[in-house]
Amino acid sequence: MRIRNARWLFWPGISVLALLALGAASRLALLEWANQKPFFHDDFNRGPNSHAYQGGWRAYGGTWQVVNGTMRNIADDRGAKLMNGNTHWHNYMVEADIQLLSETGDAGFVIRATQEEVGVDSYHGYFAGLRDRDDTLTLGRADFGWHEFRANPVHPGVYPGVWYHLKVIAFECTLAASATTDTGETTIASVYDPQCIEKGRFGLQSYSTGAVWRNVELRPATEKDLLALLGGQVPTAPDPLPSVPEITNAEAYQRDTAPMQREFLDHQADLHALSIASLRLLAPNQPSHVTIHGVVTLVSPVLYVQDSSGGIAIPQAHTVKPVQIGDAVEATGDAELHDFSSALRNASVRLLWSHTPVPPVAVTASQAATGAFDAQFVETEGRLVSEQHTSGNSAVLKLLEGSQSFVAIAESPSPAESPHGFKIGSRLRLRGICVTDQLFTQNEIPFALLMRSVEDAQMVESPPWWNAQHVIELIVAILTLSFGLQMAYMSVKRSRLHAVIEERERLALEMHDTLAQSFAGLGFQLEALCGEAAPGSAMRTQLESTVSMVRFGHMEARRNIAAMRPGNLEQAGLATALEQAAHTIVQGGAIAISMSVRGEMKQIPLRIGDTLFRIGQEAIANAVRHAQPRAIHLRLIYGRRSVKLTVRDDGHGFSTSGEGAGFGIRGMKRRADGIGAILRIRSSPGHGTSVAVRAKLQQTMISSWWSHAARKGLLRRWWNGKA
Amino acid sequence: MNGTPLEGHANTSVAISRLNMVQVYHILKCSSQAVPEGFRRVIRFSKLVKKLGLTRRMLIRLLLTLGGATAALGVWSGTLLFHRPAQPTIAVIPRTCGTWLWEAEHTGVERTARGYGLYVYWNAPMREDDVQGQIDILTRAIGRRVKGIIVSPVEALPLRTPIHDALDKGIPVVVVGTDLGLAPNEHLAYVLNDERAGSQMAARRIAALLHGRGSVAILGIGKQLTSTADRARYLETTLADESPGIHVVFRSLALPTVSQEQQGAEKLLLDGPHVDAILALTEASTRGAFYALTEFKQTHTKPLVGFDQNILVPIRTGEIDSVVIQNTYQMGREATKLMAEEIHGGATRQFVIVQPELVTRENIDSDAVKETLDLAWFKK
Repeated sequence: MRIRNARWLFWPGISVLALLALGAASRLALLEWANQKPFFHDDFNRGPNSHAYQGGWRAYGGTWQVVNGTMRNIADDRGAKLMNGNTHWHNYMVEADIQLLSETGDAGFVIRATQEEVGVDSYHGYFAGLRDRDDTLTLGRADFGWHEFRANPVHPGVYPGVWYHLKVIAFECTLAASATTDTGETTIASVYDPQCIEKGRFGLQSYSTGAVWRNVELRPATEKDLLALLGGQVPTAPDPLPSVPEITNAEAYQRDTAPMQREFLDHQADLHALSIASLRLLAPNQPSHVTIHGVVTLVSPVLYVQDSSGGIAIPQAHTVKPVQIGDAVEATGDAELHDFSSALRNASVRLLWSHTPVPPVAVTASQAATGAFDAQFVETEGRLVSEQHTSGNSAVLKLLEGSQSFVAIAESPSPAESPHGFKIGSRLRLRGICVTDQLFTQNEIPFALLMRSVEDAQMVESPPWWNAQHVIELIVAILTLSFGLQMAYMSVKRSRLHAVIEERERLALEMHDTLAQSFAGLGFQLEALCGEAAPGSAMRTQLESTVSMVRFGHMEARRNIAAMRPGNLEQAGLATALEQAAHTIVQGGAIAISMSVRGEMKQIPLRIGDTLFRIGQEAIANAVRHAQPRAIHLRLIYGRRSVKLTVRDDGHGFSTSGEGAGFGIRGMKRRADGIGAILRIRSSPGHGTSVAVRAKLQQTMISSWWSHAARKGLLRRWWNGKA
Repeated sequence: MNGTPLEGHANTSVAISRLNMVQVYHILKCSSQAVPEGFRRVIRFSKLVKKLGLTRRMLIRLLLTLGGATAALGVWSGTLLFHRPAQPTIAVIPRTCGTWLWEAEHTGVERTARGYGLYVYWNAPMREDDVQGQIDILTRAIGRRVKGIIVSPVEALPLRTPIHDALDKGIPVVVVGTDLGLAPNEHLAYVLNDERAGSQMAARRIAALLHGRGSVAILGIGKQLTSTADRARYLETTLADESPGIHVVFRSLALPTVSQEQQGAEKLLLDGPHVDAILALTEASTRGAFYALTEFKQTHTKPLVGFDQNILVPIRTGEIDSVVIQNTYQMGREATKLMAEEIHGGATRQFVIVQPELVTRENIDSDAVKETLDLAWFKK
């Protein structure tokens, strides 16, 4: 385990250094981003002629659209935000033209904002805007709750559909806003917040009304800009506001109750309006002029209105004031019956009430496919099959749910960055108007969903991981890992075998240098003594017998040394190594050695080769020792998946039915079992002996295929593009 | 490892300074002194280092590199999370926010939480009927591992599972304003408005206005929230028990918008039975009834008794007789107290009932009402 150098530290060290480099780079990028100067201009043109296109908008509620060089929120959510910019922006000024779309809310700018979420006042930052409910320019702070600093009256008032120029400055801890009417009258509101929020993004926000912004421009602010806007006004800390408005005079009463007066006057409606579902009961062949009440669920491409009984399309509606999603309206027109719902032609639409959005009805695709929810605002789920964007920048999502396929269409381009880029196979939750009109279904699918914007599609679940690509990648990874482990295992076994062979070599050398040399010296000395002894004497006879025994021992030692030495099995191959070993064993004798090889020679794993070599060597040695053969024939047969070695001699053989096998035969069997080979010994007295061993070439499927492919040249052909 | 005995050395401190840690360990081990566990660990570490063949220089470099990387990652993480509050956070999720009813709860929660050192995450759906929006916020709060959740359910049944989920994750929950039907326990408590008392106040006010005789309409009877359904039941029970001369001649279910409520009230005034007074049980029905009465110029002939603080200015002028308001300020305080007790060692109360207030022209400027309507949650 001792490590003599620090190589093992290399990769961890590199990893740590890479991590540090990544951290440093990220830090630098963050600093660069933080030091980015507050400059922003968006003319809200998304075409090729745009001069000041700015991306990076992020929506928190609302239904935002870019229309004719303006940014619109057509929903009257309470506190819908569209954010942009940098959380490290400090002193800056933002201005734009603003128009409110209804009478009961406010709209303006969020500045120095952080931690924005969907919700009412759900951010840390400031808001300055115009409020038509009480005709004021308001300035306050949001910390996931509203703290109003100022509500200064705007003269002559704040009216829906009228453009105002709003400018807001944040300089150190002073906030100031000015609103200029189209007649040039300016209202200013300012505050000094001692515990001010110092940095943050900017954004557009509307509360309980839709609104339109154009020419949004942001740039760094200086004290000079602040003083110019204030025009001599001195910002002070915010005043405490009374919990319940105190009505002390007629003007105060008018101020506090005027919004309510407007509201209930707007709500006066035709009390004989029909429910939308009841239009289905009208005579189909007679024109019926009817009035309905409902809430707007979609404005474009067709106006859809819904009450508690159902939904209706109002194509080419005539509206006195622009209506938004969530507005309660009264519509009067000619009823027209369709297959699953009705439409109102030549209709005039009057706003009754704002910000009364209807929640969607959750249905399954199969339920929507029945047509029972035609023209109604529904929520359903499906798995995305494809996504297309038309030349008009509409998004068309094709979805599948169970056995039903349908499309979801968002007509208007979205300024926000979100939900584009759904992965195919994602499970989406979609909200929109369920329509069965063939204009949208092409009579190929049961229904289509008309979404208010692409934000109405939300991902519920990522595509399942178990797709074909991932499965293939996993299989390849497993195979590669298995192959690597197999190679590592083989490498370890090979190293171990090499160590055994080296040890044998060392033992053989030791035996050669000690035992064999001693036998040689002993024999030499005994022969010298034998020469001095009188011929025919008992001593000479004994000495000659001893010399013979020493020669036999020397020969045995040499054979054993030869058996222990592996020779050049790896370099020369099994056949050559065996032949050389046979010649070494019979050296000095008259035994003829022959060798034959059949089949295509191939690389044999070292462990198998060594075992076959040892078995062959033992068989030759046994033949030489015990059978007194004239010839020994060695045969090596290479099969496709096996190799067979046969050692046959023409000696006097032995009876294989005898009790027990000799030590050499037991050793051969043990060796054969070690590699899963089959050993067969055939012999009979006077007919020689045949020792055959068949070993399977244990190859993995991959290495087998690899060697087969290499042998056939498949890889080269594939590489050259011929396969 | 050769132990070097101290005996024989003239200066023991010099001898020790020449020994390595392992040798000192062996000496201590052989002696009668107990070997501290920390010292054993150091020895094991030094043995491992030696076994790995690390030189002192390599070890120092390795430790410096790892230390630097850890410090860099720490600074980086700190930069990313710099705005995370150090105080324990509780999530407070009303039905919606930015309204008189719920911002008063915000005030009660904030002022109480400051005293207990708790940070308040306050958020709610944009609409009061957005069940899914409330569940989403609740789920996010659970994911943030807040210390506790105070929630006012938009609807009772759909919130049961998310609240169970929070409880299963060990987050205590205080439910404000609606009895979910889940049995309270050491981690689940309720702070409820006393609907019976509020209904009795409204019934007795009507009885006093009509001198015990007449006919009334009840608008905005809840069909989903048990609290508003309770109002109608207690109201009629009180009228029947205490003022049998007053009869309920018209009832309407709660509608989701003011405009629908206004239309319903208009139909009542135009085509419905004659009523001497109107009882409106929700914010929307109170406002809708007021608009219809104003439209038909009957604000001073048909007294309106409403519920929940949404429209209070007409009380001063007598156009609305009175409104039973929930003391959401006190409910917020009580809920936060329960949560703080739970966080700091276990709450002992599982139900807190808060009395409502009947706001009339006479008491609208009283301290009790002003406290109930205090929206200055940001004040220290």
